[in-house]
Formats: sequence, structure tokens, C-alpha cells
Amino acid sequence: MSVIGADAPRVDGPAKVTGAAQYTADIVLPGMLHAKVLRSTMPHARLVRIDASAAERELGVVTITRDDLTGMDPYYGPVVKDQPIVGIDRVLFAGDVIAVVAAEARDIAEEALDLIEVEYEPLPVVTDSDAAMAEGAPVLHAARRTPQVTFPDMKSVHFQTDSNVCSVYHVERGDVEAGFADADELFEDVYSVPTIQHGHIEPHASIAYWEPSGKLVVHTSTQNPSVIRTQLADLFGLPETSVRVIVPYVGGGYGAKTYPKLEPIVAALSRKARRPVSLVISREEVFMTAVRHAASVRIKTGVRCDGTLVARRVVATYDTGAYADIGPRTAKNGGYSAGGPYRIEHQDLTSYCVYTNKPPAGAFRGFGVPQVCWAYESQMDDIARRLGMDPVELRKRNLIQENDLFVTGDRLVSVGLDKCLDQVVEAIGWRGIESTRPIETDRPGFVRGLGLAVMIKSTMTPSNSAASVRLNADGSATLLTSSVEIGQGSHTGLAQIVAEAIGLPLDRVSVTFPDTDFTPYDQSTSSSRTIFSMGHAARQAGIQIRDQLLEIASGRFEAAVEDLEIVDGSIRVKGVPAQSLTIPQVFTTHFGAAVGSLFGAFDYQTTGGLDPDTGMGKASAFWFLSAAGAEVEVDTRTGKIRVLRAVTSVDVGKAINPRQCWLQNEGSMLTALGSALFEEMLFDNGQPVNASFLDYMLPSMEDFPDTFRSMLVETPHPEGPYGAKGMGEAGLGPVAPAIGNAVANALGGVRLRDLPLRPERVLDALTKEGLQ
Amino acid sequence: MKRPITTTINERTRDIVVAPNRTLLEVLRDELGLRGAVEGCGVGVCGSCTVLVDDRPVSSCLMLATNAEGRTITTIEGVSRDGELSPVQRAFLEQQAFQCGFCTPGMIMAVEGLIRENPNPDEAEIRDYLSGNLCRCGTYSAVIAAVQSVVVQARAETENSRPAAH
Ligand code: FES
Ligand code: FES
Repeated sequence: MSVIGADAPRVDGPAKVTGAAQYTADIVLPGMLHAKVLRSTMPHARLVRIDASAAERELGVVTITRDDLTGMDPYYGPVVKDQPIVGIDRVLFAGDVIAVVAAEARDIAEEALDLIEVEYEPLPVVTDSDAAMAEGAPVLHAARRTPQVTFPDMKSVHFQTDSNVCSVYHVERGDVEAGFADADELFEDVYSVPTIQHGHIEPHASIAYWEPSGKLVVHTSTQNPSVIRTQLADLFGLPETSVRVIVPYVGGGYGAKTYPKLEPIVAALSRKARRPVSLVISREEVFMTAVRHAASVRIKTGVRCDGTLVARRVVATYDTGAYADIGPRTAKNGGYSAGGPYRIEHQDLTSYCVYTNKPPAGAFRGFGVPQVCWAYESQMDDIARRLGMDPVELRKRNLIQENDLFVTGDRLVSVGLDKCLDQVVEAIGWRGIESTRPIETDRPGFVRGLGLAVMIKSTMTPSNSAASVRLNADGSATLLTSSVEIGQGSHTGLAQIVAEAIGLPLDRVSVTFPDTDFTPYDQSTSSSRTIFSMGHAARQAGIQIRDQLLEIASGRFEAAVEDLEIVDGSIRVKGVPAQSLTIPQVFTTHFGAAVGSLFGAFDYQTTGGLDPDTGMGKASAFWFLSAAGAEVEVDTRTGKIRVLRAVTSVDVGKAINPRQCWLQNEGSMLTALGSALFEEMLFDNGQPVNASFLDYMLPSMEDFPDTFRSMLVETPHPEGPYGAKGMGEAGLGPVAPAIGNAVANALGGVRLRDLPLRPERVLDALTKEGLQ
Repeated sequence: MKRPITTTINERTRDIVVAPNRTLLEVLRDELGLRGAVEGCGVGVCGSCTVLVDDRPVSSCLMLATNAEGRTITTIEGVSRDGELSPVQRAFLEQQAFQCGFCTPGMIMAVEGLIRENPNPDEAEIRDYLSGNLCRCGTYSAVIAAVQSVVVQARAETENSRPAAH
């Protein structure tokens, strides 16, 4: 029986329910020192003097300051090398790294931080992208290092060096002005989304040591071991084979653990200390290590009376904070996705990635799309309201369809968005235009409303994933992969794919943790790409093994390969079950005894990329589509919103493990719910105000809606393994606008354009409309 | 100054010497090698460090180890007996009530506390009791289902063991 599409139990279950699962902070190495980071108290300042000698002298600790990095280029970054291991001449945000200390115990390291003297000369601060783009703003990276083209897709953005604009992406089709002129109604609004944090419960953690041979070994909580290896090799002038990156279980990441975070620090410290160094940061520091881009989105849309969208112009500005990290790609993705999953003849889409004096913003589940989706899906309901149309009908009239050309020129395949929307309509009981009216409750002051939204998102393209599979003589197999088990269930899903490809029982397949000494290159465990890309590679590697088994058996049976099959680990002649061989027997046929191994290996590169001048080409190896619906209750006296029901439907191509798809999607939905209602990192002139779980709330079971449902649509993708495509981020985009639309419907059309939908904002909006 | 204390951890009486500023979480992890409880926030909000102290769930990141004197501590390592999972662990496994698993030991310990306190909680009580255990992977629905299955199973067992009425 096929294991594809089965709710196979997770292989990491026993380790996780017993507390035995090992995370980076659980690792203790002989002689290991503990590190602490001295962080800037200023959002922007020149570093006049840094003196760590007292700390070293009095406490015998090992420190790294800029003085220790003189013989090397201390800057790193996946796209632009603009972030130093520790502050060199300036600090660029409150929380920026100035020095690091390693000591026998954490409290000694902590004490040592107080002994490091820092003299700052404050510099002018820019804390939002508008201020950063204004004339006369201080330019944060005047001496920017040139962008590296480690990633081929980064050729399609324009990098700038003379302002705080790090990069620009632009794409257009048709003639947007002519389209506006041709439209019956125009809508132009500005939407905003604040900085939020990923909230992975496992803080970042990394451990490094240097072997006597000069090899650097790093255990780290990362989403992309192969890229960490490249970046460390580059920083320390080593061949990649002299850097070994090992990743145990990772306690959530959602993008925050992509690209170097603590790895350069522990590598530098352990080199000087000549001992292993572990750095596990505090929750407060997590807020200074990675955040989601705040964004402002100006969107103008021209519509005909019949509801046809004719033209759309979007300018989206992404606040990438002090360092570029992967911001240029995030902004690029948001840029071309800003038109939404709609056929719009004339489009003009631009996105900016802008430096400010805030913590570096990088990858975050949804990758630039939730910001623009908030804008285009909110506006969509305003359009429907003004035209007197059912918002579902308006969407359906314009939704992209199979084989359509996306604005980038991609031909879209595996487009089941109509079905996603239908499922949501049914699940929340949407009844046409009447569902846009407030639903009265029997509690005075409380009104309810329904809302929905849709989304389209791409995956990083081109990208590489390599897998290697080893079949042992006893018929068990190991998949060697650098994909990270981060909670999504990759160990289980990939095992299902390998078992199916070879024809083995599922419990005969195991999947390794990433260890770059053994596991082949994988670009990243992110962008919802693991099942699609690594799954494809693993499947092909499995098929190679299957072919070898069949080849050997065909000699033995004197039967053609086509007449053989492998079922549950035995190779047999189709229709003649008596004619069968076990895998040990096949090995014996081949090697003379049940010894040795058979190998399969496959490197899958998705092709594509965009032209830097036109922004066109092939943006994505697959597109994922989703719809969401919500019911909210608003207390019009306090402005407080409660989400009563939230549902999503995602086109997954083919669910390898449906239960894990639902669960993973519920994670996206819950984060979206937090970002819609209350999540927001606040800054006071560049100083973080709520960088702790006491002040920055994550959704708890108390916020959990009564109904919370994730549904799947399966429109097979021709290149995905067994038709599967990615879905790990799909629920995130449409949930916030579905909630926003439900709130607007509850309030008779009152539109809130800034997230989060805090009670005082609701009250303000009601007051402005004269409803309060 | 370090202080000797006597405490029972996972049914074993321990005499240990602890510094006055050490939290129970630090002592469990660093000194006793019990690494199932983890630190997600360090300020008593996320629940990932939850252990039972005298059968009540406590954030071990907030409790000073010296306060463990004379108490009975149960950690995730102590809920399974002889390699056999507790009913709560089994339910988490069956319902797949975890994703990254980082919150899971704390979540399981909170549920252990809940069913000791209230063997028959309804959904509102479950949500309320577990609202101090954050799961950013968003596994709440499966966790609620796991708790409900423990409750149903326990009820079935009591009914079966009740002498049949004549
Ligand atoms: S670590 Fe103790 S409650 Fe978060
Ligand atoms: S399973 Fe990842 S935080 Fe709960």
C-alpha cells in the first residue's frame, strides 16, 4: 500500500514526548566555555573606544572586540556583506553586537560584560523607512560592500549605494496609466504592517570549536547549514571542506534561523579561546537578532463597474533594519506578488528594501507576501463594497487560472485557488453579499462579521537540493539530507517519499540530521521548499536504487525489468508473487553475500530567475495558493476583537502526510492571528520597548478561536514528488486580511488599514466615522 | 554561599549543594543533566520550563533551587516509568501534539498537573489551564485533542474497573 498521502506517525515523536530530543543548547562539549554578548545601548553611534582589557585581566575571560579581527574581512551577509561579527567603527541599532565574552560559566561572562568600557558618539537616527528615504537622511551604509551573487536570483534586483535604499525591484506589464484612464472607479490607499518577531520558542543557539587540523566545527540551530558553511568558509578563509556544520533538532525558526546569526561569533571566539564555545541568547536578544520587515504599501487599483480589475500600481517599502540580511529577496518577492492572485492587464509593481536603525529584518514565514496581501485583500473588499458586489464574486471574476501568465511572465500550473475559495466559503457559511453585513448579537455593543481573503506566493528559484540514499544489505535505507527537522515533519515526510520510491516499508527508512561533512548541499529549509525540492531529489535518488535492484533481479529471474515490481521490500515478478526475492537475496546475487550498499544520489536544481531590467522571467518553481475565512466579534465599546472562527484552505499539490499539512498550516494561521490582533515590536527613537515575552504577546490558548480549521486542495504539480508542492507558509498571508475584512463587515464597512487591529485603533476608527 | 538541600527529584531523594541565585531550571539542566525542561523566555511566560513541584506545574525558570528543599519535583524525564510512556505522553504521541517539540516537555508537564488537579476538565478548563504554555508552531488544537483523549480514556478505565451493578 502506498505510504504517500498516509498520516504516517512522526518519527521524532518518541524523542519529543520524552524530553530526549536534543536541541543545540542541550549539547555539552568537554572544556566548553559559555559566551555572552555586549550589545549597543544606542541605536546609531560611532564607536570611539572599546576596552575589554579589564575584563580579560580581572576575570580571565576571553573577549572578542574589533581589535581581534584586524587580519580578516569581518563582514558577512547572504546578499550584501554589510554586517560585522562585532562592531567595527559604528553600531547601527540598539542591540547591535559590540563585543563577546567567553567564560567558564555564564555568570562570569555576564559579570565580564560590565567590565568592558565603551565610549559612543551618538549619530542621528532613522527609525522608519519614510524617514530613511527622505532627503538629507543620514546614510547608514555609505561604504557598502558590493553585493555578492551567491544566489542567482539576486541578479534580478537593483542594488543602490548612495542612499538608505538597499535594493529596488520593479516589474510592469501593459500600460498602467492607460489602465487607470480606462477604469470606472479608482481606489488608492496606504496600508501598513509593523515590525513583528518570529517568536520561535527555542532561542538562537550555536556552539563552535576548532580541530587541531584547522577545521571549524559548528553545532547550530539553523535552517540552512549549507549556507552557514559557505559563509563561515568565506569569513575565515577556509575551503568549505574545512567547515563542518551540524544541526540537531531545531525548536522552531519560521525564517529567523536562516543565514548567519550567532555562528560567526562563536567561530571567532572559539578560535581565540582554543576551546569550544557555546552561545545561547536570551529572549530579549532574540528580538534583536531577527524580525519581520515592517512595511508600508501604497496600492492604487482601477476597476470597471462589472468588477474587472484593469490596472494596479503598488509601491511597497520594506524596512530591513540595520543590515540587509535576506531583505532584498524578501522585498523582491513582496514586489512581484503585490498584484495578488488576479488577472490584471496593467500592472506596475515596485518594492524597496530600506535600511533603518532597527534590528535586522530577514526571512519570516510568508517572506514579504503577508505585507502586500494585507493591502490588496483589504482593498479588494472595499472595491466590492463600493461596487455593491459580493466579495467572493469579485474575486472569482478576477482570479488567476491554470496556464495564466503571472506578471513576471511565469506560466502558472497547479492553480487550485477557485477550489480553495469554495472550501472556505462553505466552511464559514458565506452567503453572498448578505454576509458582508454586521451580524447582531444579543449582547449590547457586540457585533460580529465574516470575512475572507486569498493569496499567492512563490518559492525561492532557482535553488538547489541534493539528496543521497544508501540502501543497506538488510533492506533498510538511509536518506542523507541537509534538510532541517524544524517541526514541519521533514524526517517523516521525506522518509515516506524514499520508502515509496524504492518500495520499502516506511519503518525501514531513516533520515539523517544535517552534517555538512556527510550530507549533501541544500539551499535552505525555508520558502516551503523542502518537500518539493528535497523531496524531488530524494525521490530520484530512491528511484536510482530501485532501478539497480530491479536490474540485478531481472538477471536472476531472467525477466525484463518492466515485468518486475518492488512491494514492501521484496522484488517480484508482476502477477507471479511466488517469484520473489528479498533485498538481502538481491545483495547476495550481486555481491556474493548480504554485504555492501547500493547508492543513489540526485542534485535537483529548479530553474528560473528574473531579468534585472524587466523583472520578468521565471520567478518560481511552483506557486502556492490559499484562501482564508474568519468570523470575528467586536466589542464596540472597548474596541476589542475576538476571532471566533478561522479557516484556511491551501492547495498543496498532493499531501504526502495530510495531518502534518494541517498542523503546519495551523501554525501559520496562529501567527497570522497574532499579527492581525496584537503583535507589534515597539521602538522609542530606536530603543526597543517591548522586547520580552512579558510585553510582546504571542497567541496563547486563550486567543485560540473556537473553530480553527485547515483544509487542503490537491492540484498535482508536474514537477513535485507525487505531485506535492510546498505549503508551510501558505496559511499566513490571507488570515490577517480575512480578519480585517470580517472586522470591516462587522462595523458596516469601517476599514482599518494599519496592523495590528488594536482596540484603540478600532475605537478611533469608529469615532472618526461618527459611530462611537 | 552555596547551600545544601534535600529534595526529591523523579522519585529519588537527592542531597545537592546549590548556589542561592541558581534557578531550579539551571540546576536541573546544568547540574543534574535533566535537559527536557528548556528555557524559552526565562521570565515565567512561555511555560517551556514547566515541571511539577508537589504535583503542581511551576515555571522552573522562576523558582530558586533552594526553594526545592523538602519538595517533590517531577520532570518530563520522570513521568515515564521503566520506559513506558505516561498516558499523557501516549496521548501526545497518538495525537501528534507537537511540531518542533521545544514547548512539548513543558506542555506535557502542565497537562500532567492539570489531570492531577482536575481529572475531568472541559475544553474551557483545558484552554484556561494551558494558557501559560506557548506553542508558536501552533499545535494547540492537537494538544487540546490529546488532553481530551486522556480524559476519555481515564473515564473509560474507571467505568470498566467499577464493579458491575447487580
Ligand atoms: S522559560 Fe520559564 S516560563 Fe519561559
Ligand atoms: S511544537 Fe514548536 S513551539 Fe510548540
